[in-house]
Amino acid sequence: MQTKKSINNTAPVKSKRMSEGRSLWMDAWLRLRKNKSATFGLTLVIIICLAAIFAPYITRYDPYKQLIWTEGIKAKLAPPSAEHWFGTDVYGRDIYTRVVYGARISLQIGFAATGMSVIIGVVLGSLAGYYGGFIDDFISWLTNVVFAFPFLLFVLALVAYLPPSLPLMYSAIGVVSWASFARVARGQVMQVKRNEYVEAATAVGGGDSRILFRHILPNILAPIIVQATLEMGSIILLESSLSFLGFGVQPPKPAWGFMISEGKQFFLSGQWWWSVFPGIAIMVLVLGFNLFGDGLRDALDPRLKQ
Amino acid sequence: MHRKKFVLLIALLFAVTTLAGCGQKAARQRGGEQQSPQQPSAEGSENILRMAIMANPRNLDPVFATDTSSSRIIYQIFETLVDYDKDGNVQPLLAESWDVSPDKKTYTFHLRKGVHFHKTVAGEPTTNGGREVTADDWVWTFNYILNPDTNSPRAYFLDMIKGYKDYQDKKTDHIAGISKVDDYTLKIEIDYPFAPFLSVLACNTFSVLPREDVEKYGKEQFNFHPVGTGPFKFEKWIQDDKIVLSRNDNYWQKDKNGNQLPYLDGLEFRVITDLAMEWTEFELGNVDQIEEVADPYYAEAKAKKGFQETAEPATYFYCFNLQKPPFKDNKALRQAFNYAIDRKALIDIVRNGRALPATGVLPPGIMGYDENIQPKYTYDLEKAKALLKEAGYPDGIKVELVYNTSDTHKSIAEALQAQLKNAGIDVSLKNIDWSALLDAADKMEIPFFRMGWTADYPDPDNFLYVLLNSANIGARGNYSGFNNKKFDELTNQARIEIDQAKRTELYKQAEAIAREEAPWLFIYHYTDHMLVQDYVKNAVKPFMGEYTMKYTQVKLEK
Amino acid sequence: MLNYIIRRLIGAVPVILGVVAVVFILTTIVPGDPARLMVGQRGNPETIAKIRHEMGLDRPVMVQFVDFMKDALTFNLGRSYRNNMPVVQAILTRLPVTIKLAIFSMIIAVIIGVPLGIISAVKRYTWMDYSAMIFAILGISAPVFWVGLLAVVLFCKVLGWIPGTGLGNGELIYYVLPSIVLGVRPGALIARLTRSSMLETIRQDYIRTARAKGLAESIVIMKHALRNAMIPVVTVIGIETANLLSGVVVTEQIFSMPGLGRLSVEALLNRDFPVIRGTVLFMALLFVLANIIVDLSYPFFDPRIKYD
Repeated sequence: MQTKKSINNTAPVKSKRMSEGRSLWMDAWLRLRKNKSATFGLTLVIIICLAAIFAPYITRYDPYKQLIWTEGIKAKLAPPSAEHWFGTDVYGRDIYTRVVYGARISLQIGFAATGMSVIIGVVLGSLAGYYGGFIDDFISWLTNVVFAFPFLLFVLALVAYLPPSLPLMYSAIGVVSWASFARVARGQVMQVKRNEYVEAATAVGGGDSRILFRHILPNILAPIIVQATLEMGSIILLESSLSFLGFGVQPPKPAWGFMISEGKQFFLSGQWWWSVFPGIAIMVLVLGFNLFGDGLRDALDPRLKQ
Repeated sequence: MHRKKFVLLIALLFAVTTLAGCGQKAARQRGGEQQSPQQPSAEGSENILRMAIMANPRNLDPVFATDTSSSRIIYQIFETLVDYDKDGNVQPLLAESWDVSPDKKTYTFHLRKGVHFHKTVAGEPTTNGGREVTADDWVWTFNYILNPDTNSPRAYFLDMIKGYKDYQDKKTDHIAGISKVDDYTLKIEIDYPFAPFLSVLACNTFSVLPREDVEKYGKEQFNFHPVGTGPFKFEKWIQDDKIVLSRNDNYWQKDKNGNQLPYLDGLEFRVITDLAMEWTEFELGNVDQIEEVADPYYAEAKAKKGFQETAEPATYFYCFNLQKPPFKDNKALRQAFNYAIDRKALIDIVRNGRALPATGVLPPGIMGYDENIQPKYTYDLEKAKALLKEAGYPDGIKVELVYNTSDTHKSIAEALQAQLKNAGIDVSLKNIDWSALLDAADKMEIPFFRMGWTADYPDPDNFLYVLLNSANIGARGNYSGFNNKKFDELTNQARIEIDQAKRTELYKQAEAIAREEAPWLFIYHYTDHMLVQDYVKNAVKPFMGEYTMKYTQVKLEK
Repeated sequence: MLNYIIRRLIGAVPVILGVVAVVFILTTIVPGDPARLMVGQRGNPETIAKIRHEMGLDRPVMVQFVDFMKDALTFNLGRSYRNNMPVVQAILTRLPVTIKLAIFSMIIAVIIGVPLGIISAVKRYTWMDYSAMIFAILGISAPVFWVGLLAVVLFCKVLGWIPGTGLGNGELIYYVLPSIVLGVRPGALIARLTRSSMLETIRQDYIRTARAKGLAESIVIMKHALRNAMIPVVTVIGIETANLLSGVVVTEQIFSMPGLGRLSVEALLNRDFPVIRGTVLFMALLFVLANIIVDLSYPFFDPRIKYD
């Protein structure tokens, strides 16, 4: 969240960038590669993404297979061992396998919800910034309403009252998370609009949509990408809180937050592995996005680089 | 200039924080006035029993409460005409004895003398001033509960009382069937002989209320100022945190040696929603009793002296909707489900052995229960597969199970999902909240969903008639839409049958039909446990479940 | 200044109205019936209908909405469906717990965040800087509920330093863990922002001048740089109010604290619509006010910012 504000406050994109074209992105890439913590973050994210994609190849069990029915009571809550790296849960499901498959859910919701909020936010923000006047007033009001609404309660209400499903999850999260994108987009568009080349394009008689898409959107891309990367982390955390409270993805799907809440009671009685490993997984993934996002911001906006 | 403002701001901040602090101190002092020492150990020596409960009660007004967490408290404050002994037989409470007319349609209750309403509530004197309860109070109370404007959710439990309908339709201003004979004699007439009538009167909804206080506080405030005749008086209720009750010094009951009851000086119910925390607090000795023992601690709890466990008159099941495909008119399919689950393994592994396999509707301990009634569903995968084929699904079937959000329901659903899969039944799970489930179930919208039933009164009527008679289809309890002529006849007849042996036989026949037709996936009968610290004496687990426990005779011997 | 406050307050009105409208729509369109829930599993359809009528749920939606808005404007939030307690009272009885949690966690955040930020700015590129920043990034990456769970296990179970969860008899010790858990994230944010703003300040001309004048380094830092560093603290407090209000929901759940968060979740689960609407309205008000106060406090820390 903090980063949103710091971008709002301090990241006006200089118009000269446009003329530099590709080289700006090249520069940024080079800077990013030199940034050790950012590369580390990116590596974490990539590893987890690959693990999610190739989950069946790197795990030995079925994430839903309840081994207690076949192997009996010894498979119930087995501690970490060579056979079960992260132990098993009360049904004898392999926790390592479930953690790996759980990455699919977190990433899916993370990407889809972020995508939704970027689309809603950028569209509304650009409209507000570009047209100003009544449209701006209305959209800004909407943004403020979303900011002032206790977002967790909003999502909780939707997820608690409507039949749960993945699309519902990410739509609900998307609906509360777009406001920060709208703010960034609006600010950027207003800034870019005043630039000579846009004024020139308008003078030449370019249509609104042409100007928005050709001249303005490419310009606001960089801050939006940074924002989106950092937002991924927040959204994954939000999703895990929801499943922790029991309002998320349905069992037996291995959502990390849900695994933590299932394992909670056993944690207090000494069987720590059920809760601890999914927690580490959440932290690592969010950490990856945050480090990478920090690095991206520094790379795309050299002014901020200390 | 700015510095000044800065100082101002800081001062303001301090003011705010100290104010918050003061508020807290004041609260503590207030608490201190009511019961001086606040230290847990001191409270223990003060002879107060502290119990951890799982949920903030909804409503302490017996006329409106429908949940067990409220009932638990209500049982201490309010009293009914009759209640149950520990085997589930009706025994006298505020009625010392009663006569039933030969046609079983008139009940005459001889009321106990010397029963007084509470003198104080929440530390203030009550309007009734602690006067004696007479037959007038009972007449007024029943008229109040059954009044259509009161709108008590359980008033209709007594719809067999003479004149109920006219009173509901506002044709009369009082109910005809309830009258005072003299100050200590109350007469109730009913329209037809209704075998479980006394059991219904034991429901805590029908507790005697002091008119003055009910009228003073009204429907809206009586909940926060409950006044009754019970062994404990209401002191305070800090929402989501705790409820404190104090001893009723004027309680009517004495022990065998003539000592005034209750022995305890008070009760304190702390709301602890997290079961792991509840257990930790119990282990640390911060509470004397806990409502629930979570599975991870079950083995440890079971080894304790203060642990009791018995079957509860309750059944856990999944409803098939008999008015919707695929279960409509497909008995083989419903039976296939019943043969495809391994109840014993489920109970042993997922429920830690804390339940009894259910192969029918009636739980053990209830009249008409007989484990030999056929068919008796056991785990038989081959049979399940054969029946599935017979039902027209040789390649398996896909259904969605809807259950209400809860950890226990979730873990059972997950386990049964895995079991049913072996028989070729592919179940997907969906959880919705309890209200949405009730709503959808009322409207018969979902084909396959979870339900459970805990007896309101320990009689087969409360299971077979309420849950499966076609008169009750929908919100009244028959959620599967079961409609069987023969079954209806049997259960209707058993309601008015006076002869106990004949009644038992009728219910056995009805139970056999229910099993054969399998309107439910029978899963298990609940067991119920009670856990108190070793030094808590005279804690007897009541027949109707731990939540109906009364602390009248409970002692702390530390 | 006063003008500015008034303008901001007036500006907040449509926002609050918007929030109220959204929560009303949300609680109206969802399936499920609060009256049904009150009656319990075995219900009588007539009784349910009558209760619906008492609750006013059988009126047309638009009528309900207009009535609700009218009432909300006069702060008459109605009574809880569950136990008839006036919603305002229900909120006020829970408020002290939540306010205390919020204040303590912010104090903890400042105590952790500011020194860490200063140290890592002053000792830039040393191990101290790196470890402070690693702590900070972990602090914003770890899920609150998980940290809370680890904390309960460690401090209550293993070490036994904290008696348990809940509120006890209101002793402050019960607030320690939840406040720390809630304070970690804002603390980490403050540390990060303090660091970058300190670095910026240190390079500014007036600091150079101060140093050139021969002021001791510690005085320079304390007097000039720190004052500027307050800005990020204030900013974080402003932005984190919203997060805090959500964090409180989860934290109160884990630690069984009877605060606003618990109230709102219980109300959600029980379809206690008046209470849901009331708490949402109240939280939105808190958020808006906190932001106005934060904006008002900027001039104290940065003379360049002025409101007319």
